[in-house]
Amino acid sequence: MRSQFFGLYVREILRTFRNPFVLLMTIVQPFMWLAFFGSSFGNVPKQTLESLFGTGDYIKFLLPGVLSTSMLSIGMFGAMSTIQDKRFGFMKRILITPTSKGVIFLAKAFGSATRGMVQIPVMVAAALAFGVRFALTPIEWGAWVAALLCLALGFSSLFLAVTAPSTDWQTPGVVANFITMPLMFASTSLFPSRQFPSWMQAISSANPITFSALLGRGFVLGTAVDWAYLGYLAAFAGAMLLLGFAVSARWLKVE
Amino acid sequence: MTAPVAIETHNLSKRYGSLTKGVLALDRVDLSVPSGSVFGLMGPNGAGKTTLIKVLTGVSDMTSGEARVAGFDVRRQSMEVRSRIGWVAAEVILDDDFSGWENLWLQAKLQGLRDWESRARTILAYFSLEDRRDEKVSHYSTGMRKKLEIALALLHQPSVIFMDEPTIGLDVGTRRMLWDIVRGVRQEYGVTVLLTTHYIEEADALCDRIAIIELGRIIAEGTPSELKAKVRADLVVLETTEELDRGALTALPGIQELTSQGAEWTFRVASSEQFLPQLLASVPPQRIRRISVEKPSLETVFLDLTGRRMGQEEPMRDVRKFYAQVRRARG
Repeated sequence: MRSQFFGLYVREILRTFRNPFVLLMTIVQPFMWLAFFGSSFGNVPKQTLESLFGTGDYIKFLLPGVLSTSMLSIGMFGAMSTIQDKRFGFMKRILITPTSKGVIFLAKAFGSATRGMVQIPVMVAAALAFGVRFALTPIEWGAWVAALLCLALGFSSLFLAVTAPSTDWQTPGVVANFITMPLMFASTSLFPSRQFPSWMQAISSANPITFSALLGRGFVLGTAVDWAYLGYLAAFAGAMLLLGFAVSARWLKVE
Repeated sequence: MTAPVAIETHNLSKRYGSLTKGVLALDRVDLSVPSGSVFGLMGPNGAGKTTLIKVLTGVSDMTSGEARVAGFDVRRQSMEVRSRIGWVAAEVILDDDFSGWENLWLQAKLQGLRDWESRARTILAYFSLEDRRDEKVSHYSTGMRKKLEIALALLHQPSVIFMDEPTIGLDVGTRRMLWDIVRGVRQEYGVTVLLTTHYIEEADALCDRIAIIELGRIIAEGTPSELKAKVRADLVVLETTEELDRGALTALPGIQELTSQGAEWTFRVASSEQFLPQLLASVPPQRIRRISVEKPSLETVFLDLTGRRMGQEEPMRDVRKFYAQVRRARG
């Protein structure tokens, strides 16, 4: 099982890094968010920003949120790669070896999550270029990366579970639109939840993107951090991995 | 003493969809493939060949019945079966982002092999691919891609290789090359090959035994010679410029069966050598458009068993009827 997982995981990674366009888009998309959305509050008085976001630098507020949201969207790539394997018959080639469907799922989920991790140094470098200064301890950096990894694993697993029975190219896109928009806006990734209506606050308070954004924001802004968020995110990743594994083992369509 | 059996099925059925509206793709298939043989599964498109391979390789579950491959139960010991089989697809399936060597590396990982490099080098040398091993397979020719796919199937020293229409869509030269490879692989590596094809000459040239499958059922099985011996008749096909008197033709001696479609007459006769002079004497030469003779072949076996030629679907008959009518209308 280890051998099969390693082979398929390395395949996922190599395929990403050998496709310059996919790599570029993976990096550019969150960068654009930071550049365009982050700059949209450029002319807002600092006092207003501080009262709204707890910092006069909106990009500093936004960075942990955009990184968290990016982990949501990378799940789509894993699902699309799975559908490509089904459509081109590669899934059949894999399954006519002693490789279980569960292992295929794990390799795809970890492959997607790893792809998502590439965005972290790029985004941090971009934030530095926008003038953001970081004062995180190595433990805080590690915890932030671990939180984002849990989020990426959780959402990759969720995407793979939902698209396991499908062979339609359109499915990942449709699912992405369905999952991404509500989860992104009903979280604190872009705005604090104080101004949300109560029903959105309820969603936000159970939304893993909120946990990741708040944790990262605490580290970046140097404010109080609730470390329990890391535990919630680990539980989310674990639950989604279990769900994805079980669904794939049962319903992963071969072609 | 009987040869050990590599593949065995008993009452194997596979249904797609519901009992009432579904399709019965395999209907109580009984098959026994001796170890070390090249076994051909021959039938037209949609006969059930690929479905049988899917079931035997564990890709698709059977609806009922039993199947054993390489001594293991396909349903209960799927992983054991999958570590002892290789697969060559109709369409070449490789990872185009990878080199030939990397495709072999991935296959080794999927098969859980440890010391695979020296065997991979030997196989690449056998297929004359060692010089191109580090090139991306997207740069390979079709023949090279097919060879690499067979190399992948052989890497883990399987007992059985399934080849699903391996020469479909290939030019004549590449097809002949693949025939040589299949023969060589069996001889060199001692594997059992189950090969599906709808090319009659391919089955005849390659296979020790052949099963003919039609509508999900095995309708005949034997060596090519055994199957041909079942026909014991020649086919004489006569195409005329206009319809002839059926009664006069039926009266000719030696006819076992006469069928016609428009102006095309097919005579099943015991000896074409004795029949042809009598036919030519009874039909005016100006009315003869074409005459052909078919000696017993797998094609005639299939025709004999099913009443139609391989690949001849019902709509084609309609087209031929249509053209016959057009010719008649033109006079």
